[in-house]
Amino acid sequence: MYNEVRVFVENKPGKLSRVAELLGQAGIDILALELADEGQFGVLKILTAEPARAKEILSGAGIAAALSPVACIEIPDKPGALVTLSKAIEKAQLNVADAYGCILERGKRAVFVVKGENLDAIEAAARDAGLKPLDRLE
Amino acid sequence: MQELDDRIGARFEWMSRDELSKWQVEALRKAVEQAKKSPWYASKLKEAGVEPGDIKSLDDATRLPLTSKDDLRLSYPTGMLSVAPEEIIRMHTSSGTTGKPTAIFHTREDVDNWAELMARCLHGAGARPHDVFQNMSGYGLFTGGLGLHYGAERLGMWCIPAGAGNTARQITLIRDFHVTVIHATPSYAMHVAERMVQEGDDPRSLGIRIAALGAEPYTEEMRLKLQDLYGFKVFNSYGLSEMNGPGVAFECEEQDGMHIWEDSFLVEVINPDTLQPVKPGEVGELVMTTLRRTGMPIIRYRTRDLTRIMGDGCPCGRAHARLARFVGRSDDMLIIRGVNVFPSQIEEVLMGHKWLGGNYVIHLSTKESLDQMTVKVEIAKSEFDGSIERLRDLRTELGRQIREQVGFTVNIDIIEPGGLPASEGKATRVIDERA
Repeated sequence: MYNEVRVFVENKPGKLSRVAELLGQAGIDILALELADEGQFGVLKILTAEPARAKEILSGAGIAAALSPVACIEIPDKPGALVTLSKAIEKAQLNVADAYGCILERGKRAVFVVKGENLDAIEAAARDAGLKPLDRLE
Repeated sequence: MQELDDRIGARFEWMSRDELSKWQVEALRKAVEQAKKSPWYASKLKEAGVEPGDIKSLDDATRLPLTSKDDLRLSYPTGMLSVAPEEIIRMHTSSGTTGKPTAIFHTREDVDNWAELMARCLHGAGARPHDVFQNMSGYGLFTGGLGLHYGAERLGMWCIPAGAGNTARQITLIRDFHVTVIHATPSYAMHVAERMVQEGDDPRSLGIRIAALGAEPYTEEMRLKLQDLYGFKVFNSYGLSEMNGPGVAFECEEQDGMHIWEDSFLVEVINPDTLQPVKPGEVGELVMTTLRRTGMPIIRYRTRDLTRIMGDGCPCGRAHARLARFVGRSDDMLIIRGVNVFPSQIEEVLMGHKWLGGNYVIHLSTKESLDQMTVKVEIAKSEFDGSIERLRDLRTELGRQIREQVGFTVNIDIIEPGGLPASEGKATRVIDERA
C-alpha cells in the first residue's frame, strides 16, 4: 500500500505553479501528476517518493492537501507489461476507479498507480500474477 | 358589476389632504382596536400603555409600538391574527424567506380592498377595462401574482395569468392576444427585449402601452432604456407582502414619485437609529400602518426601506403623498430577481457543513439581464481528505439547500482555504456587480 498526495486546487491561473514551486523548493521530486477536473475546481494527484513530507509542506503553506491510499504495482518497463496487470485485475473481478502510471527506470521498471474500492485485493491479484506491490518508491 | 369609480375607490383616490387626515385619524383608531384582538398586539399595546381611545390625532401614532420583521417571525404563525380563523380566505408569505417565514392573512374584505388599491394603481397609470393585461409575475405565495391579478380583474381588463419565465410563450401570448399592459420585474422585461432583439425582432412591434414594473429597485436610466426599447410607458410599483403586496404605492401618469394610498396606509419616515420622525422631506426609514386591513392589521411596520416623502402637490391633483426613489435599505437585505434574500439565510446553510471554513462571499452579477448569484465558499483545510466525490456532493448539496432557501438556482464556487478576502463585517460578504 502506498499514499498519493491529493491537493485541492481552484481552476485559476497560477494555482498549479504554486504547488509545483513549493515542492520544488523543498527538493521533492514529482514522479507523476494527474488532475481530476471538476470545472471550477479540481483535485491534483501527486505521486512522489516522499508523500508525507509533501503533504506537510503543502499544508504548512495553507493549502488543502491530504494523503490518499493507492496500490502502486511495479511492472517491467517494456511493451505489453501492463497486460499482465490488467488481466490479473480483470480475473479477480475488481473495479478500478482511477489509474495512472510512470517510469521509474527507463527500460527497466515502471509503476502503475491504481485506486479502487479494495486495494488489498488489487495488490493480492498483482502478487498472484508475479508482480510486486510497492510500499516505497525509489 | 359596480361602476368603475367604485371598483377603484375613486372617492378615496381624490380625497383632499384635509379629508385624508380626518379619515386617517378615525381609521387609525379603528385599526388599533382591530389589532388589539390579536394575542400579539393585545400584549404589545398593554406594554405600551395605549388604548385605541387614546388616538385622537395623527401625532398620537408615535405612542404606538413599532413592529419589526422579527416581530412577524416571533408571532408566526398566527400571533397577529385579529379575526376568527373562519373569516380568513387567503394567506401569503413574505417572498424568499422560506427559512424564516412570515405569513399575512386576509379576510374577504381585505382581499377586496387590496384589489381596489391595485386597480386604482393600474387605472392611475392609464390602464382601462378594454386593455389586455399579462401578468409575468410568479403566482403562489408570492404576492406579485394574485395581487396584480385581482387588481387587473377588478379594473375589468382581460387578464392573462402567464406567470414567470418561459420567454417564448410570453412573447407569443402578448402577440396573439394583443396585450397592452404588462406586469413584470424590470430585469425580466429587459431580458425579454434582449431576447427579441437577438432574434431580429423588435419589442416595439408588440404594441404594449403600459408596463407596471416593480419587485426590485431600478434606476431612471433603466426605465428610459426600457421605454425606448418597447415604446411603452414604465410605471414604478412598490409593495411588500406585510402591507398586502403590490398596490401600496404606484406612479401616476406624471411618472414622478409613487403615490402611496394614504386611505389604506399611514405613512411615517423615521430615523432608523433614533426611531424619531425625520424632518419633512428628509430621507429615513419608511414606517407603515395598515388602516383598512381587518384579518391582520400591522401597526407601525418598519419596512427597512430608505426613502423620503416628496414635497409639493403632484400636478395630477391627487393628495396622496409621493415616495421618492428608494435609496437603499437599513439592513442587509438583498433583492435578487425580485426575491428578498438575507445573507444570514445563506450563512445558515454554509454553517451546517463541517467541510466549509466559514468564510464566504455572495457574488451578484447580471447575465442576459437576469440577476445571477454565486456563493463562493472556502473549504476547511483540516477536513479535506482528498475525495473528489465528497467535493462534488458538497457542491450539489449546497446548491440544493440554498435554492430551497431563496427559491432560485445559484452557482456554488468552492474556494481554497484563505482564497477569499478576510471578512470585515457583513458588507464585505456581498459583492454586487449587477448592471
